Amino acid sequence: MCGIAGVIYKDKKSHNIGEALTSMLESLQHRGPDSAGYALYGSLDFPENYYQLNIQVERKRGTLENLKSLLNQITPVLDEQLIESVGDSDVYKCKIALDEYSLLKPCIREIDELDNVRVINGSHSFEMIKDVGKVKDIAERFDVASRMGTHGIGHTRFATESGVDRYHAHPYQSYIIPDITVVHNGQITNYWKIRDPLERKGHTFESFNDTECIVHYMADKLDQGYKLEEALDQAVIDLDGPFSILVGTPNGIGIAKDKLGLRPGVMVETDEIFAVASEEMALHDVTDSDEIEQIAPGETRAYTI
Amino acid sequence: MSEYVIDAKDMEVKELNRTIKEQAISHDRLIINNPESEHNICAGLSENVDIEINGSAGYFVGTMVNGAKIHVNGNAGWFAGDNMTEGELVIEGTAGDGAGQGIYGGTVLVKGNTGSRTGEIMKGGTVIIGGNSGFMTGLLMMGGTLIILGDVTDDVGESIMRGRIFVLGNVKSLGKNAVMEKTTEDDLSELKEILTEYGFDLTDEDYGNFKKIVNMQ
Repeated sequence: MCGIAGVIYKDKKSHNIGEALTSMLESLQHRGPDSAGYALYGSLDFPENYYQLNIQVERKRGTLENLKSLLNQITPVLDEQLIESVGDSDVYKCKIALDEYSLLKPCIREIDELDNVRVINGSHSFEMIKDVGKVKDIAERFDVASRMGTHGIGHTRFATESGVDRYHAHPYQSYIIPDITVVHNGQITNYWKIRDPLERKGHTFESFNDTECIVHYMADKLDQGYKLEEALDQAVIDLDGPFSILVGTPNGIGIAKDKLGLRPGVMVETDEIFAVASEEMALHDVTDSDEIEQIAPGETRAYTI
Repeated sequence: MSEYVIDAKDMEVKELNRTIKEQAISHDRLIINNPESEHNICAGLSENVDIEINGSAGYFVGTMVNGAKIHVNGNAGWFAGDNMTEGELVIEGTAGDGAGQGIYGGTVLVKGNTGSRTGEIMKGGTVIIGGNSGFMTGLLMMGGTLIILGDVTDDVGESIMRGRIFVLGNVKSLGKNAVMEKTTEDDLSELKEILTEYGFDLTDEDYGNFKKIVNMQ
């Protein structure tokens, strides 16, 4: 089933985005009990070419030490934090500097070659937080309520394909362009038809999850010069299956709904915010407005600041 | 008339519906405050009671109701009034997809717009939409009367078998198996009776503009 939610503040100022999205996701908890996640834009105030890495580290002797050793060979670690999590692994969060963005993906690949670690994401202008479990627990574990930002998207997951683990929780990120994320409720039934051309262009896939396919598709379109609204319109034409897709970029959020409208999506726009969600109850967490709009089949809506 | 007020804030829907059922036996009218868009409110209620919901309701509000009159002072999620057999559900605001789906009897009125597949697989009863209705309105209808006072988008009456759809606004396209036919005097007098009862003040010219959509056979 899955729940999706997103909000963007029109004044471009920093708001308590972590708290707002946590409330929205808690209202959508019943749509996805497996895992949950956030992409919180504006929560990292990094200089150019500074990045945050979130890395899953299994609790095995020497793993964290090996990771830190490798990281310091690539580039000095400027800040770090180990967040204790559930299962057999924790999340190591660190801040690094690279010479340019194109080095981020190779850096991630090099880290992924280590045993017992997996990079969850690397970002410059947003912070990704995702884990297995309930929204409330994840929000507490990662202190999400303290995060300030201009906009964000979030997800509660009810897995219908691929594993239930931290990596497969949403959002998904693509590195084709910096800092693009997607959360998704639905299934893409022409997955290979979308994936094959992207792979032929040299884009690499890390999983067989259809949401990863969507984020690469969207990133590729934006990389070609499409505006967010245009890329979403093209997604409605190109993607088959039932879906509501919510995309986050450094300056906006946007939603697309499949042609038959088989997955839900509602939105509200006021003088202060533009917000979307799977269900109305999540919108009431961020607005008192009753001017809720149903997103029609095949409709796309986006807001950029 | 005896009245009972329920504050649904922080109430699980099972507890809320249990309270509604218990209080409906000894009261004529229930007022539910702070529904917080909870799903399945009043599901399966079989008591003849008036219910006022002050706020928005989530999915399946009034599903499988038999006899109650429910008034929602807010919006509703998907499948409002689903499978109702008798009674009345009035939504003051908008409703999501599948409003009035599968009803056997009673009336579902949404004063604002609805999403897609309004009145799908309805078998009887009346569904009235005060605003616009979305894609595949009246999908697989098997009976009943579906009245849209605004516009409808593509594929109205897709695979309709029986029943009638009346549209006052624009019809973007008809679905397979659906045709438009002339409204009869009986149709118009029935529409007048229903819409007047629910407070819609339409002119004779408006009634003359209703389009009737039925199965092509």
